[in-house]
Amino acid sequence: MAHRYLFEQMVRRELRQKYKGSALGIAWYLVNPLVLMGAYYLLFGVIFELQRIPDFPLFLMVGLIVWIFFSQSLLSAAPSLLDHGALIRKARFPRETIPASVVAVQAITFVVLLVAVGVVTIVLRGTLDVALLLLPVVLLALLGFVLGLSLAVAVLHAHFRDVAPILSAALLPWFFLSPIFFRPEDITGQALARAALEWGNPVAPYIEAVRAILYGGGAPGLDVLAYVLAGAALSLLVGRALFRRLEAELAVLV
Amino acid sequence: MTVAPGELVLEHASRAFSVRADRGRTLKELIIGRANAARPPGPPPVQALDGVSLHIRPGETVGMVGRNGAGKSSTLRVLAGIVPLDAGSVHTGGQIVTLLELGAGFGRDFTGRENVFLNGALHGLGRAEIEQRLDDILAFSELGDFVDAPVATYSSGMYLRLAFAIAAHLDADILLIDEVLAVGDEAFQRKCEERIARQIAAGATLVLVSHDAALVERSCARTVVLDGGRVAFDGPTGHALPFYHRLMGTPDPQPVTP
Repeated sequence: MAHRYLFEQMVRRELRQKYKGSALGIAWYLVNPLVLMGAYYLLFGVIFELQRIPDFPLFLMVGLIVWIFFSQSLLSAAPSLLDHGALIRKARFPRETIPASVVAVQAITFVVLLVAVGVVTIVLRGTLDVALLLLPVVLLALLGFVLGLSLAVAVLHAHFRDVAPILSAALLPWFFLSPIFFRPEDITGQALARAALEWGNPVAPYIEAVRAILYGGGAPGLDVLAYVLAGAALSLLVGRALFRRLEAELAVLV
Repeated sequence: MTVAPGELVLEHASRAFSVRADRGRTLKELIIGRANAARPPGPPPVQALDGVSLHIRPGETVGMVGRNGAGKSSTLRVLAGIVPLDAGSVHTGGQIVTLLELGAGFGRDFTGRENVFLNGALHGLGRAEIEQRLDDILAFSELGDFVDAPVATYSSGMYLRLAFAIAAHLDADILLIDEVLAVGDEAFQRKCEERIARQIAAGATLVLVSHDAALVERSCARTVVLDGGRVAFDGPTGHALPFYHRLMGTPDPQPVTP
């Protein structure tokens, strides 16, 4: 791949530019998710004490970092092509480098948080298991899923300027419908609602899979694994196809 | 169609641009339908290229002149592969190096040295290929200690020095330059012209957009006069410039006789 080095350079540029001149610098990438995690812990761990789930803070954190990676990637990918308008108007290079580098920066943050939360979870809960070997597979699938969607929202937002606002409006209810602070299996009364929350929400299986490994100390179900792999393939396929189709006019639109 | 490295072919190329301030559409409009979308009809699209045909052979030096809005920069962006055509075709051969706007490919918080890598990468080069050229590029730019200062602190002349130094060392088959040399001081401009001449001698092709008739006269054997998106004149620079001056209604500058 001839433009791999360009990708590396764009990631560096992204890391440098975002929080330039601020006292914490790159550490800001960690501040945002940490503050979110603190707030949600207060809300769901202390105020609405959910006692049924053991080690609730760990349960919450594992799910939350997956969600934060997903939502922050989409939110920062959406305006990324417009933000780099000057570059797109004046230079020829593969345009997907831009949303991809934005996602890469979020992925770096995600991995840092995941290692911290993962180690603590495994130690405190004693969930070190051979299933941990599945984690890279699940994480790659998650990355593919997020990258495909990010390509799509980035190029769509360049064409239709209300994509980013719609996205940020949708992410809030989406968060509460994702199994971050609850387990779908606890919904015993309504089978339909449970199935919808488990399978109708494409993010849910990724959260479930990561949590099964780190918090549960076992392999995710085969159905969940199949879902996350198929979801990644579909997202990448559709995202790339959409990007290819809509990228030609970018130099004029942004 | 196959073209040789350094060759550019435009066939009946047409491209219109909408001239609205709000360039993107919204999903709402898409869903409601464009016909009854609640936006006032704006001015009609501008035909930036209107059936332009050009055949530039490897090693040619071509100036492009015309009034503001004649389609010069659009033609360059089409040749660079940045903007697609509505109709017609464009074919180019080999490595294209563009100098369209100063600092377009620069990260403002990167140092000059770091920007060499970013800019080289934008042109598709890898780390090793850039490192190999780094010393030559920095030496050519004559920026001295400023190569390790963020480019946000540069003057426009310093931007040009860095941008041109990079462009000059990327082994271009085709050089596309849009009116940027003017911000360099006289000594650096001369250095740029000499460097371009060396690359032409080595087989590269030059397309230069400029309002500086003297620069076009020195650098380009052939000149294309664009007017309203069409080719108004295409021929030797010695004939094209008088045509251009007549078109502009300005007197043909008399050669200064010592």
